[in-house]
Amino acid sequence: MSDLSIKDLVVEYSSGGYAVRPINGLSLDVSAGSLVILLGPSGCGKTTLLSCLGGILRPKSGAVQFDGTDITKLEGGALAHYRRTKVGIVFQAFNLVPSLTALENVMVPLRAAGNSRAASRQRAEELLTRVNLADRMKHRPGDLSGGQQQRVAVARAIALDPLLILADEPTAHLDFIQVEEVLRLIRSLAQGERVVVVATHDSRMLPLADRVVELMPAVSSTNRPPETVRLKPGEMLFEQSTMGELIYLVSEGELDIVRELADGGEELVKVAKPGDYFGEIGVLFHMPRSATVRARTDATVIGYTAQAFRERLGVSGLGELIDHSSVPTTDQP
Amino acid sequence: MLFAALRDMQWRRRRLVIAIVSTGLVFAMTLVMIGLANGFRVEAERAVDSMGVDTFVIKAGAAGPLLGATPFAEAEVAQVAATPGVIAAAPLACAATTVVEGTSRRSVTAFGAPERGPGMPQVSQGRPPSTPDEVAVSSTLGRAVGDELGVGARTLRIVGIVPNSTALAKTPNIFLTTEGLQRLSYNGQPTVTSIAIKGSPQRIPAGYQLVDRTAGVNDLLRPEHVAAGAISIVAAMMSIVAVLIVGSVVYLSALERLRDFAVYKAIGVPTRSILAGLALQAVIVALLAAALGVIFSLLLGPVFPMIVVVPAIAYVALPLAAIAIGLLASLAGFRRAVAVDPALAFGGP
Repeated sequence: MSDLSIKDLVVEYSSGGYAVRPINGLSLDVSAGSLVILLGPSGCGKTTLLSCLGGILRPKSGAVQFDGTDITKLEGGALAHYRRTKVGIVFQAFNLVPSLTALENVMVPLRAAGNSRAASRQRAEELLTRVNLADRMKHRPGDLSGGQQQRVAVARAIALDPLLILADEPTAHLDFIQVEEVLRLIRSLAQGERVVVVATHDSRMLPLADRVVELMPAVSSTNRPPETVRLKPGEMLFEQSTMGELIYLVSEGELDIVRELADGGEELVKVAKPGDYFGEIGVLFHMPRSATVRARTDATVIGYTAQAFRERLGVSGLGELIDHSSVPTTDQP
Repeated sequence: MLFAALRDMQWRRRRLVIAIVSTGLVFAMTLVMIGLANGFRVEAERAVDSMGVDTFVIKAGAAGPLLGATPFAEAEVAQVAATPGVIAAAPLACAATTVVEGTSRRSVTAFGAPERGPGMPQVSQGRPPSTPDEVAVSSTLGRAVGDELGVGARTLRIVGIVPNSTALAKTPNIFLTTEGLQRLSYNGQPTVTSIAIKGSPQRIPAGYQLVDRTAGVNDLLRPEHVAAGAISIVAAMMSIVAVLIVGSVVYLSALERLRDFAVYKAIGVPTRSILAGLALQAVIVALLAAALGVIFSLLLGPVFPMIVVVPAIAYVALPLAAIAIGLLASLAGFRRAVAVDPALAFGGP
C-alpha cells in the first residue's frame, strides 16, 4: 500500500544567519487513495512540506515514508528516480516551459524516463485528451488560458502515473470557472493507490479533502486572567519556532532573549529587564516565536493574552504594542 | 530531452541568429587572418618555385640564398657547375629596390639570373631579359612589354611579363639578367648572392653550403615573421571573441531558463540531460557560425589587398574548433544549470 507517513519532521534553513524552522516536529499519516489539503497562511511551511515529500528538500530530522521508502534516506540517482517515477508535481503558476507546446510539456517527463518519442507523444496525447485539451495540444503556454495551463500541468504531473501527486496552490491564479475545472480534475486523481497532497490557503478547496491538515493551528483566543511565571536562572520560558498565546511582561529579574543561529549557536538579542515585554508579534499574528527566552537571574514574568494586553495599554494600545513602547510595571495584576 | 533544447533555440531564434552571424563574422575574420599568414608562405613558395631551381649554393653561415645572403664572387659558379651531379648552375642575385610610379616610388624585389635559367621564371608575355638594360616584371605592376621602367637609379626596358609574381606581402618581383642586377645594386661588381643549381651536386666548395628551396622560401619569409606573428595573435584573439559570443549567448539562455531547469530537475530530469541540451545549443550555434564563417571568408578574402590563401586544413579544423569553442563557451552556463535548486520550481510567478 502506498500510504504516506511523516514522523517528527523538522525542516530548518538559514535566513540572514538565523535558524528558521517552518516545520517543527510534524507527524502525519495518510492512507492511499486520499486527498489531503495542507491549509495555512503564507509562510507556514506548506510548500516546504511539499518539497520534502517530493524529495526536493532534505529535512533536518524526521522521516517521510512513502510506498515503503524513506525519502529522507535517498541520495543522488535514487532521489532523481523517486522524483521521476513516484511523484508528480503541479506547481504554483503552472511552471510550464514556455518554448514547448502543451504536448511537448507533457512529453518531458516521459522522455526523461526513457520512453521513445513515439510512445511519449501517444501517451501525452491521451493525457491531454483526458484533461479536455485535445484541440490545444500544439499551443504554447502563452496561448493558453490559466485553467488550460493548469490542466496541462496536471497532465504533465500524471504522465508517468505516479503514486504521489503534489499540488502547490493549484487555484492561486485562476478565476472561478477555471477553479472548478481544476478542482474536479484534482479530486479525480485521488483514487486507488494514489495519494494527492494539495497545499493551499484557498478554503474553497476544503470540501474536496479527505483530510485537512492545518499547518498553523489556531491558538486559543479566549481571554483569561494574567498568569505569573517564576523562573530560576537558566530556566526556559519558551522556545524559538514554537507557537504561543501569551505576551510576557517582566516584573522582576532579567531574561535573555536569544536567537538560534544557522550554525547551531545562539545570538543574544536583548536582555529583558523589569518593564520590558516580549512575545507580542507571534501572539498577535499567529506566528511561531522568533526567539528563545531564558531566565538570566531569578525572574518573574506576567503572561497576558493579546486582548488583556491591549486592555492594559489602553485605546492606543495596538500601535504602541507593535511599536514596543515600554509598559509601567507598577500596575501589577 | 534534446528536443527541448532544440525547441528553446527556435523560441530564441532571433537572438541566436544575431549570435550566429556575429560569430560567423568572427570565424570568417579568423579564417582570413589564417589565410593572410599562410598567404605569405604561399607567395614565397610561388616565387621560389617559379625560378625552377632545385638547390642553392650559398656562403657558409649565410641566412639564405636571396634576401639573407652573404654576397660572394661570381667566379665560384664555374667550379660548382663542374661538380658531378650538377645539370646546370647559374649566378643568382637578389636585392630590394624601388621602381618609379608616376611621381612616387614603389618597393619591388629584384632578382638577377641568366636568360635561360635556372633562376629565371617563365614569362606569359614577351621574353626573358637578355641584356643588362632589359627587365621582365610582374603583371601586378600593371606595365606592358616595351614600356620604360625606372628601377633604382637606372632606366630599363620591359621585355617580358611574369604572371602574378610577388613576394613580401604582394610586393612585385622584377627579373633582370645577373649582370643587370649587378649594375643595379652592386655597382657593376661581379658579385652574386647564391648559385642556382639544377640537379644534385655531389660536393660543394669549401666555405659554402647547399640549401634547398625551403631555405629560399624561409629567406623570403623572414622579413614577414613579425607581421605573421601579429596576425596569428589577432587570429587567436578572434577565437577568444568567438568563445565569448557563444558563451554569453548560452549563459544568458541558461540564466533565463533557471526556472525551466528547476522544473526539469523537480520532475526528475537528470542534470546531465539538461547539460546535454545546453551543450547541444552551444555546439549548434558554433557549427552554424563556422559554416557561415567559411562563406563569409570566401567573400572577404578577395577584398583584401594581400594574398589570402586559407589552407584546407583550416576548413577541416574550423568545425572541430567550433565544437570545442561551443563546449568551452557553455561551461559558465553549465555551472549555473548544475547549481539550480529544484525547489525554485515551487516559487510563484
